[in-house]
Amino acid sequence: MVEEKRILYEHLDVPDINTFDVFRQYDGYKRFEKAIAEYQPDDIAKMVMDSGLKGRGGAGFSTGLKWSFVPRDIKPCYLCCNADESEPGTFSNRYVLEKNPHLLIEGILICCYAMGIETTYVYIRGEFTLGKRMLDAAIKEAYEKGYLGKDVRGTGLNIDIYTHPGAGAYICGEETGLIESLEGKRGQPRNKPPFPAVEGVFMKPTVVQNVETLCNLPFIVGNGVEWYTKMGPTYADTRNDPPTPDPNTGTKLYCISGDVNEPGVYELELGLTCSELIEVAGGLRGEEVKAVIPGGSSAPILTHYELDTRLDFTSLTLAKSMLGSGGIIVMNETRNIVDCLLNIMKFYAHESCGQCTPCRWGTPWVRDIVQRIADGGGRPDTITRPKFGVTESGRWGDTGETEEIYEDLDLLESVANNIANVDTMTWNTICVFGIAVSWPAVSYMRKFRPEFEAAIREGKLVTLPVAEATVPPEENYAYQQRFIPKEFADL
Amino acid sequence: MALVKLNDLEIEVEDGTNIVEAARQHGIEVPHYCYHPGLSRPANCRMCLVETFTSPAGSEMPDRQLATGCTTTVRTAPPDRKLDGKYDFIVRTDSPRVKKAREDVLEFLLVHHPLDCPVCDQAGECDLQDYSYRHGHDKSRYLEVKNVPPKKDLGPDVLLYSTRCVVCTRCIRFAQEVSGTGELGLINRGSHDEIDIPRSHEGTPLQLLDNKLAGNVVDICPVGALISKDFLFKSRPWFLEKANSVCTGCSVGCNITVEYKADGVYRIKPRFHEDINQHWICDDGRLGYHYVNSDDRLQLPLKRVENELAPTHWADALSVITEQLSETEADDIVVIGSAQATNEDNYVLQQFAHDVLQTTQLGLFGHPLGEEHKFPQFTIEADKNPNTAGARTILGSANGNVVLEGDALWEKVSGAKIVYLVSGGPERPLEDAEKAALENVDFLIVQDVLQSEATQLADVVLPGTTFVEKDGTITNSTGWVQRIRKTIDPPGEARVDWEITQQLAKQLGGEMNYRFAGEIAIAIAENVSGYADATHQNIGDAGIKLAE
Repeated sequence: MVEEKRILYEHLDVPDINTFDVFRQYDGYKRFEKAIAEYQPDDIAKMVMDSGLKGRGGAGFSTGLKWSFVPRDIKPCYLCCNADESEPGTFSNRYVLEKNPHLLIEGILICCYAMGIETTYVYIRGEFTLGKRMLDAAIKEAYEKGYLGKDVRGTGLNIDIYTHPGAGAYICGEETGLIESLEGKRGQPRNKPPFPAVEGVFMKPTVVQNVETLCNLPFIVGNGVEWYTKMGPTYADTRNDPPTPDPNTGTKLYCISGDVNEPGVYELELGLTCSELIEVAGGLRGEEVKAVIPGGSSAPILTHYELDTRLDFTSLTLAKSMLGSGGIIVMNETRNIVDCLLNIMKFYAHESCGQCTPCRWGTPWVRDIVQRIADGGGRPDTITRPKFGVTESGRWGDTGETEEIYEDLDLLESVANNIANVDTMTWNTICVFGIAVSWPAVSYMRKFRPEFEAAIREGKLVTLPVAEATVPPEENYAYQQRFIPKEFADL
Repeated sequence: MALVKLNDLEIEVEDGTNIVEAARQHGIEVPHYCYHPGLSRPANCRMCLVETFTSPAGSEMPDRQLATGCTTTVRTAPPDRKLDGKYDFIVRTDSPRVKKAREDVLEFLLVHHPLDCPVCDQAGECDLQDYSYRHGHDKSRYLEVKNVPPKKDLGPDVLLYSTRCVVCTRCIRFAQEVSGTGELGLINRGSHDEIDIPRSHEGTPLQLLDNKLAGNVVDICPVGALISKDFLFKSRPWFLEKANSVCTGCSVGCNITVEYKADGVYRIKPRFHEDINQHWICDDGRLGYHYVNSDDRLQLPLKRVENELAPTHWADALSVITEQLSETEADDIVVIGSAQATNEDNYVLQQFAHDVLQTTQLGLFGHPLGEEHKFPQFTIEADKNPNTAGARTILGSANGNVVLEGDALWEKVSGAKIVYLVSGGPERPLEDAEKAALENVDFLIVQDVLQSEATQLADVVLPGTTFVEKDGTITNSTGWVQRIRKTIDPPGEARVDWEITQQLAKQLGGEMNYRFAGEIAIAIAENVSGYADATHQNIGDAGIKLAE
């Protein structure tokens, strides 16, 4: 039985941990004081780089690497804390904000010290009214105690934190959408490059970090890099010669919901498998697992064949999915995948910001197609198209064979791929919202094609038994990817 | 300069140029909607996607993502970073991936488009139509219900057909960046995005798109969403003839295209000039052409008979005038040129005054000063005459000529017996002093295009021509000499102003024999200092700037 490994959440349930005095009893701000006393700013940045900490917001980009892109000679430089946690199935940041806001402040202080930042903006999801109240109170306390403001604790550092509530748009969780919204504009992502590290808030270099990432910093500084890197697997990237380490270190706040007996946030070491996680969450509610969404609603779905997939950044990338924000949704045999996709597509069609053409008009189109299939309006016409699959060379491509497919399913796949192509990982959109739409659309359709076909054939939603509903791994590119060229191996 | 491989061409491109412009300079079209050279670049239409090759492998290895041609700029690479051994940049606008991306984007653009080209004003000059033919699918795969956002009245001259809108936001950016008035914005989100003006909860407009540059949003709209009420349902654009000309609404001298048919002018569009108006014109100029088509235009010469102005024929009108002129001393005659007239008109006029009548005191008449309007990237000048600078120089060009303006002029006029006044602009009202002075004149000749307060006082009225009915040059306030061109014939028996003057000169025994405006321009170039290069041939469409 796997045990929870609570680090960020260790003192979450301590009464009044949200007050300075109680937080202080549990090493509060001592890691920051240690950072100032023992390390130079560059040392901290190096520690973060060495720790292998990856951004917990969704993209899983190395935090140390991101910091290294920030030009040190342009001031002011800003820190933007992304607390706009809005991915469906994700709810870990809100507990930090509501229960232990001082931990976030300490993380911010360490980041500010390391990067020479004086101003931090915490962009909080508008719906988190309690979280914002608690954080505001904690910030006030920190000012009173001299941990924020001018000349922090006599060190000569000036650090200010401002909180800014969002207005309810999902896209403002995208870092440049967040920055636009913070600047008072319509929340629409910017074209990249330039990345925020070079040109962010008010066109100045900006570090954008998720709440969870910042909360990791006190522990990396307090307990050392070696302690931190012992948690979670580190792989070897054999595409490089010699192989480079690909760390998935630390713990992750997994938000487990759906058909499990004890849904909730579980802090676990990275690298556990899907089935282990379901066990941690009190086991499956129902007979058998039909599907698991591994990283928030935008992540490609995993089938029951893939329950041995390790839930870390690298393994899920190899499984053609992503860890994302760690929002895991478990579905049992009673769930209809067409219905699930419809639910998700309604969300994305509603949340598309409308800035760029493919997403603005493609996303509602995908929703409408799924809606039509779910309503029984799927056309029974079929077309013959080249069958793509694993070719003799072991690569994905045209197999030379043909396949029959319902016209509507071909349309669904094609429209979704025109927004963002999941096979080539290229998108015509400005931001990655496009891929967040086409990933579920295409993966649900490909992996649970019999259920979509049944809905079209029968003219209504039909929930098939798990074995019948799922496309076997050998017929599906997404699975095959895991078995062909093994580019990563355990160190 | 950077060496760029564009498709299979090898081209030299200035650093900082984007791919759309670089390709355009070499005759390759990169389709685009949101990009406009005069505005910022949001890269939101995703139509200008191109394939770039920035890895060390050069043209062997395209970048994974397509790049937007509007925001990708060309830079000279350091010597060790040259691609394929010599190029600074490699880009393809014709690869299969690029073509597919264009097709896909066009399909999305047409998903909610009503396809109402048969009743759309933009048909024929619509980027959506053109690109669909060139790059799009031949049929739609869209089976669902289309969005039907409402048609909106945005302001005095602008209608919005929201259904046709592709949300490129050019109009919004124009209102923010060029006019600085910011009336336009996006409302709603996602596929329900609509362009709109500020409104109350009940939908009543709180601010209209009512600035002096508003008409430009119609020009920059790549589709038929923003439509000019003035031109609505007037004509198909392909039936219109076009001529390059210059706006005569104020002393800026914006470059325009006059679009016309035989029966009149249909609309005025801006024409790019880097140093004068960039891409824009103001609504005063855009909508100020209506007097040209007016039914009230003077078509025949008028002569005062028993205190009433009655139509007559040219021979009669001119003989009345020559009779009067030949009986009067030169000192009692005042010839007044116009800041509204071309350099050619004024040159012939001063030649007539100096050589034939032998007066040296000429007047200069024009519209009184109006209001100046300053916008972040555009200025409408207070001087509402297109050619003040030119008229001043040309009228005073002969030895001994003195150009009188304002009070000095009217003082002189009030003591004169005969005044020959060339139009100060269509329907130019007279101030009290001007009126009193003109009333004192024994014999007043007015040359104009419309009835005005001055023509009411005249003894003979000669029908002249507007800026679309004659060739000529005008000089703007910054010293640019530019050409206006004849597009339509003058109404009735109206004649080009310098021809009338020349006819008078001939009847009085003067030796003047210009056959067309270009000949006068050559005479100007020979005789007026500073205008040595200002022949029609040299001026062309771009104009020339006089030496300071």
